[in-house]
Amino acid sequence: MVNKHDVKRRMRQLMDEYIHEPQQPDYVLDESEMMVHIGPQHPIQPGPFLIDLKLKGETVETAKLYMGYGHKGIEKILEGLTYIQGLPVTDRICYLSALSNNEAYVSSVERLLDIEPPERSQYIRVIMQELSRIQSHLLGIGEYATDLGFVTMFLYMIREREYVLGLIEDITGARITHAFPRFGGVREDIPDGWREKAVDVLAMVNEKCEMYKELFSDDSVYKMRTVGIGTLTKEDVIKVGLTGPALRAAGIDYDVRRVYPTLTYPDIDFKVQTAKNGDIFDRVMVRIAEIQESCWIIEQALDQMKPGPLFPEGLPFGRRTPSMRVPPGEAYVPVEDPRGEMAMYIRSDGTDKPYRVKIRGPAFSLMQGLPPMLENVYIADVPAIAASMDSCNSEADR
Amino acid sequence: MDYLIGGLYYILGNENWWGPWIRGICGLIVMGAILVFAMFTVWLERKYAGDIQSRIGPNRVGGSHGELQLIADAIKLFTKEDLKPDKVDTPLWAGAPILMFGSALLMLVAIPFGAFVFYGKDYPVAVTQFDVSILYIEAVSAIGIVGIFMAGWGSNNKFSVIAAFRNMARMIGYEVPLGLTIVSVAIMAHSLNIVDIVSAQSHIWYVIVAPLGFVIYMVALIADLGRIPFDQNEAEEELIAGWATEYSGMRFGLGYFAEYIHMVLGACITVILFFGGWNLPGILVNLHPVFGLLPFAWFVFKVVLVLMFIIMVRWALPRIRIDQVTTLGWKVLLPLALLNLAWTSVIGVIW
Repeated sequence: MVNKHDVKRRMRQLMDEYIHEPQQPDYVLDESEMMVHIGPQHPIQPGPFLIDLKLKGETVETAKLYMGYGHKGIEKILEGLTYIQGLPVTDRICYLSALSNNEAYVSSVERLLDIEPPERSQYIRVIMQELSRIQSHLLGIGEYATDLGFVTMFLYMIREREYVLGLIEDITGARITHAFPRFGGVREDIPDGWREKAVDVLAMVNEKCEMYKELFSDDSVYKMRTVGIGTLTKEDVIKVGLTGPALRAAGIDYDVRRVYPTLTYPDIDFKVQTAKNGDIFDRVMVRIAEIQESCWIIEQALDQMKPGPLFPEGLPFGRRTPSMRVPPGEAYVPVEDPRGEMAMYIRSDGTDKPYRVKIRGPAFSLMQGLPPMLENVYIADVPAIAASMDSCNSEADR
Repeated sequence: MDYLIGGLYYILGNENWWGPWIRGICGLIVMGAILVFAMFTVWLERKYAGDIQSRIGPNRVGGSHGELQLIADAIKLFTKEDLKPDKVDTPLWAGAPILMFGSALLMLVAIPFGAFVFYGKDYPVAVTQFDVSILYIEAVSAIGIVGIFMAGWGSNNKFSVIAAFRNMARMIGYEVPLGLTIVSVAIMAHSLNIVDIVSAQSHIWYVIVAPLGFVIYMVALIADLGRIPFDQNEAEEELIAGWATEYSGMRFGLGYFAEYIHMVLGACITVILFFGGWNLPGILVNLHPVFGLLPFAWFVFKVVLVLMFIIMVRWALPRIRIDQVTTLGWKVLLPLALLNLAWTSVIGVIW
């Protein structure tokens, strides 16, 4: 029989070993070098992560990234919940792209159930996807501008985002975490008078974006900080596995909405926005162009929409169904998140809970793209580069 | 006795034992007025930044425009716990805010804050006057940099040290063009005395004579004040709060306030050097003794305009990088300042 005191002593011994063992860093510093730890708590960071910078004067020599401070165990949590209970949890993966996460989850489950939402629901989902993209990009550009010391731009972006969030709130009833789509449809229809409001707001956002484009491309002080900094070539981007605006800014026109279209995206005419150089400047310009493209997509969807049911005929479960059994199988349906390709691989064993959910998010690759870019830049460029990737630490750690 | 406070000193008896006391009290009054004006500047910055960013700004404390917000902030700073990190170099760390504040206060000794004109005679509102006042102001304002370096070095914090070195690099680069433009103004006015510089501008402002000098001076001044686009020493995105990272409570408040005093005094010097100071047409001023107050109001008005320009620049531009800052200072501003010096020398000789 094990003595309680023995256990305590052993534990203390282990802790002592752990604590007192010198943690040898795997870097060696000479006299002119300095190690600076950016994070896990730092004013620039939207979530906790650590970048160790080896500095020589003002220049970064090497950068090391440590992640996992914000691990929430969402994949495991999803295994313990029924399918419909899991839906609100997917909101919490990234608070900026809750609707895209919902969509990735719901469309994979629909693939397993082998159902397809009616056309009106599909259009509503397209609209929500694009609204989500607009608000995420607006905040992303705003935060990035703050990291350049451009606080005014942040507040401008927040101002526009407020209207877009208002549009989302009118439909879903929530601003950040929506849990809006349902298996085979959507929870709510578009309310009366929403369409006119949306057209006004989108016209305003479009006009402002035109202004910001002009502002960004004419401001010489801004260009001094961004052009040619943090460049990712086509080869780099593919090697790291980046998707989304960061990939398109390098000149590759990969967009999940175009390559693996779901919902009614094939019926909608839009352009995949790309740029040439893949530096900070281009990444932000691609985002602004995407906001305008999203406005155009929503306008088309509103025009093409016809009245109709929200759920397919004869579906045994609808918006109020607490749980259902899903036939065994596996599904992977990618959607275009604001940050890139987002998908959830779901494996079902025929019960009412998923056997395994594997989340493939864009943010993890975006984080991995950072350290090579941070070499041989100035300290001041570190936050600018990091923010221009618009990565979401919450999603990367999930 | 050609300046107001000196005049009081003379009238109330420089021979008597209370003479120095009168002078001291007058100095305290000027200091208090400038501190209040600096607080007003903080309020102005917040309100104007709110306008630029399409938000309201402070609107709760002391009426619908948040006039007393700064009092509330000061009370908060005063009542905060005085935190001292473990391994700071105490004399340096504790002395730094005092030195920064002190250098700002030393500056205001020599600056005339406008003037009252009675019966054709100028009475500048200044604590004291001497022949090399502009040189003295430049010399004293540079002491504040030592304070920032002390704060950065004494804090035992890597971010603070980087900030301190950045500050040094920037200051060395920008004090030179700043000094050269001031020299150019002195050449045009044939004097280093501020009152003489102002009276030399009674016909034409130096901003019209030497616009290049004004541009260089403004850029260098904003760099000197450490405001965006030159606030690399407290870039919160990289360096958390720069030299102020380890400060809290009133120690932080002193350093913060010293920056605003510097800003007010910098605006005053700008008006004095380039915008004709308190000069108004003599016909207008001499109508009635009451109009003698006008030059003072005119001076304050121009100071507020310059302050608003400095504030606007801060909220309209992103921050540039430290290497770009030094490049701009040494490779662009310095040659231009020398060119300006040559041009103003020609003018100085002709006039």
